[in-house]
Amino acid sequence: MTALLQLEAVSVAIGTVPLLDGIGLSLERGRILGLVGESGSGKSLTAMAAMGLLPLIGGRVTGGAVRFDGQDIGAMTDAQRRALRGGRIGFVTQNPMTALDPVQRIGEQVDVVSRLHLGLSHRAARARTLELLTRLRIPEAEAVAEAWPHQLSGGMKQRIVIAMALAGEPELIIADEPTTALDVTVQAQIIQILGALVRDRGLALLLITHDMGVVAQVCDRVAVLYAGRLAEEGPVGPIFAAPAHPYTAALIGCIPQDGMAKGALRGIPGAVPSALAFPPGCRFHPRCPRASDLCHRIAPLPTPRAEGRVACHHASPPPEGQP
Amino acid sequence: MTPPPLIRIEGLSKRFQSGGGLFAPERKMWAVRDLSLAIGRGEALGVVGESGCGKSTLARLVLRLIEPTAGRIIFDGTEITALSPAALRRMRRRMAMVFQDPYSSLDPRYTVTQVLAEPFRIQRQPLPAGAIAALLASVGLPDALAESHPHQLSGGQRQRVGIARALALHPEFVVLDEPTASLDVSIQAQIIALLADLRDRMGLTYLFISHDLGLVRYFCQRIVVMYLGAVVEVLPDTAAAPRHPYTEALMQSGFAPDPGRRRSVVPLTGEIPSPFALPPGCAFAGRCPRVTDRCRAERPLLSGDGGHPVACFHPL
Amino acid sequence: MMAWPAPLRALGHPMGGLAGGWLLLVAAAAVLAPFLTPYAYDVQDLPQAYQPASAAHWLGTDEFGRDLLTRLIYGARTSLSVSAAAIAVSVLCGMVLGAAAAWFGGWPDRAVTVAVDLTWSFPEILIALILVAIIGPGTTGVMVAIAVAYLAQFTRLTRAQIMTLKGETFVEAARCLGAGTGHILFRHLLPNALAPVLVSAMLATGDAIILEATLGFFGLGAQPPVPSWGGMMSAGSALVFKAPWVIIFPGLAVAITVVAINLYGDALIAELDIRQKLRRTA
Repeated sequence: MTALLQLEAVSVAIGTVPLLDGIGLSLERGRILGLVGESGSGKSLTAMAAMGLLPLIGGRVTGGAVRFDGQDIGAMTDAQRRALRGGRIGFVTQNPMTALDPVQRIGEQVDVVSRLHLGLSHRAARARTLELLTRLRIPEAEAVAEAWPHQLSGGMKQRIVIAMALAGEPELIIADEPTTALDVTVQAQIIQILGALVRDRGLALLLITHDMGVVAQVCDRVAVLYAGRLAEEGPVGPIFAAPAHPYTAALIGCIPQDGMAKGALRGIPGAVPSALAFPPGCRFHPRCPRASDLCHRIAPLPTPRAEGRVACHHASPPPEGQP
Repeated sequence: MTPPPLIRIEGLSKRFQSGGGLFAPERKMWAVRDLSLAIGRGEALGVVGESGCGKSTLARLVLRLIEPTAGRIIFDGTEITALSPAALRRMRRRMAMVFQDPYSSLDPRYTVTQVLAEPFRIQRQPLPAGAIAALLASVGLPDALAESHPHQLSGGQRQRVGIARALALHPEFVVLDEPTASLDVSIQAQIIALLADLRDRMGLTYLFISHDLGLVRYFCQRIVVMYLGAVVEVLPDTAAAPRHPYTEALMQSGFAPDPGRRRSVVPLTGEIPSPFALPPGCAFAGRCPRVTDRCRAERPLLSGDGGHPVACFHPL
Repeated sequence: MMAWPAPLRALGHPMGGLAGGWLLLVAAAAVLAPFLTPYAYDVQDLPQAYQPASAAHWLGTDEFGRDLLTRLIYGARTSLSVSAAAIAVSVLCGMVLGAAAAWFGGWPDRAVTVAVDLTWSFPEILIALILVAIIGPGTTGVMVAIAVAYLAQFTRLTRAQIMTLKGETFVEAARCLGAGTGHILFRHLLPNALAPVLVSAMLATGDAIILEATLGFFGLGAQPPVPSWGGMMSAGSALVFKAPWVIIFPGLAVAITVVAINLYGDALIAELDIRQKLRRTA
């Protein structure tokens, strides 16, 4: 099966500052790929590169290629890229409070996407909007379509943003921290809606999050980024059972769990380095419990492990019985 | 015999009004309604709830940063709700608060040293020699940051400065208002570990406010669950099984980092109703799977039962 | 790391440097006037009247034979000192009123807001004319008129700043430590409100120079023979065809100075903005 979204050793810089270094990812239809890492790890930048939006923030791809359905996004014209965004690629932002235009009714904001990308008439677009809202389990869809954004709760707004992302009949949805701004009981609902969409409609979902719990709940594969580089990537089962990269293990260990001994939660010492001062060698070595002399000097390259890849000189060996 | 609690809260209520001007009709809501609690010396009491449950209002009421509409707060035998402004200001050296947003909780014009010297200046106490360095060391910050401005620090470093400021005058009681909610999980864990160390070293009493039940269960001894201004359950220990359907739903809403424990059922449908238009009965009735006619008509009160109080007609 | 203060960094901008340079030059000339020119501003020399620019009189002479450059330099003294002093008084009063309104709320706030709104519904020139009419012409009258005309602007700006800052967590943190009103106002709110108010004052000084010149042009400012740029233009307006330089040079002085103040103000805003941006992203 060919990948719908493929990042081939993508490097990105803003001005003269390199921020992403050789990120390789691939996402197939009907799958959810989680992209995790702390702030400053390059998650959102990777999403912007995938959508061809880097020029907006003064960034550019300095190496590698982003392919959508086999086509190089970097080789497209601006018009082609615009048609792709909102059309075949839908986007769900982190903050539903600011993603909606406050002076336009909900229905109109969703309508315009399908009118623009599918060429629907006003009436057909509204019918489609109502169908989408109903499918996202929004009660009284017709009343909501006539409402203003300020009349809706945060969770409801996030569903509208998802409806807007779906309105252009996308094949790929990129969701940047879609539940961070929501209450936990509402977060569970939104995560479930996203998971159901992928299963029922064969969409591909790139889910950016800092929450390893969310990744474990819905993702098929997970890619862990650290300071602009890929640390580890693979199916969620093996990675959560036996993380190979010490950074992955540390991230999982940061989540308080039932039965955790007092004092077991220590966090990761230090902080993600600034892009202006990436350390030499492995960028994680100043915070890494396994760091050796080698890590100070030479950056580890991603090497295959189980069904994924890991970039570490001292990766944990796979558990017994696995290659 | 158990020692008397450090803090006793009796029948605390706070009503907010909005509008009432020329163009907006006046609306009233109870942010906190008839809340009673006791916090033992050396205890870490957790308060969890989602947005609008009144937990941040409670934090500010307990320290009398806002005035209650009704009720009393007794701190170590002194009723702080009855203190004069001058006496209250003196009392403040014994209580402190750590805020959620490390970005706006430090004055951008102050250096770290000035931030940490401020408590001494306000309380008109001489700044002991070496106090700044000792404070920095106690929260794990290097001396080199002493002359930095907040914008030069990371979020985690700022929050450490905020904690150091709270501890400068050696308070007995610290309110932690979502101290890690705007931090990365890796930094959150660092800060939680630091707060636990400080509690052990300084014998602090904490009121820990959070939306994250998993975190509260890790950090606290007893847990108060709030929904729309009222306490719905007090878990006597972190292992206690939930008795209120809302507490159970909260527990099931968190995702464990374990792909083997996926759930297909969403614990709760619907969203928190507006606090301005509360139903007459149980505030949770509209979302509750165990709801009956009685719940819609009558408000359940918190009733202690074997040290595990719950406000529900049909507890689990 | 000790950074240069923003007013100095603004001089590093190409336009900011040029504009700042001009302003420093004018200010220095105004201060050092008696040492810069061999002529007196008020001694008439009728045989030398209506002289165009020459080696002896770089900008020519006026209808009484007085050296135009000398009068321009002394005029800078009047125009700049009156405008700057008026704005300084206006800023000071505006900050007190605005801070009091924002801090106390309730009826003081409503009273200040109504007064500000009322003032803002009249053009500044109208307010100034009415006030000069009441107080009488002369530098004092003009100064008071300008100060009152701009009072609303600074009151409103300070009030808005303090209202925003009041909601910041660091203010709540100070209250939590037991801080009283004085500490919060003078150690947190006003220092943080100062930068935008000063930038706005800088830009308002440009407007004030124009207002001062306008009042001078109507003969309401500094009384002859004391020169002011507006008064010089007023005298020159009768000589537009006979000796155009008499009106052109004071006009240019006003225009260039006002443009320079605005350009320097822009550079200053850019510098302050950059610092705030760093603050947000760091």
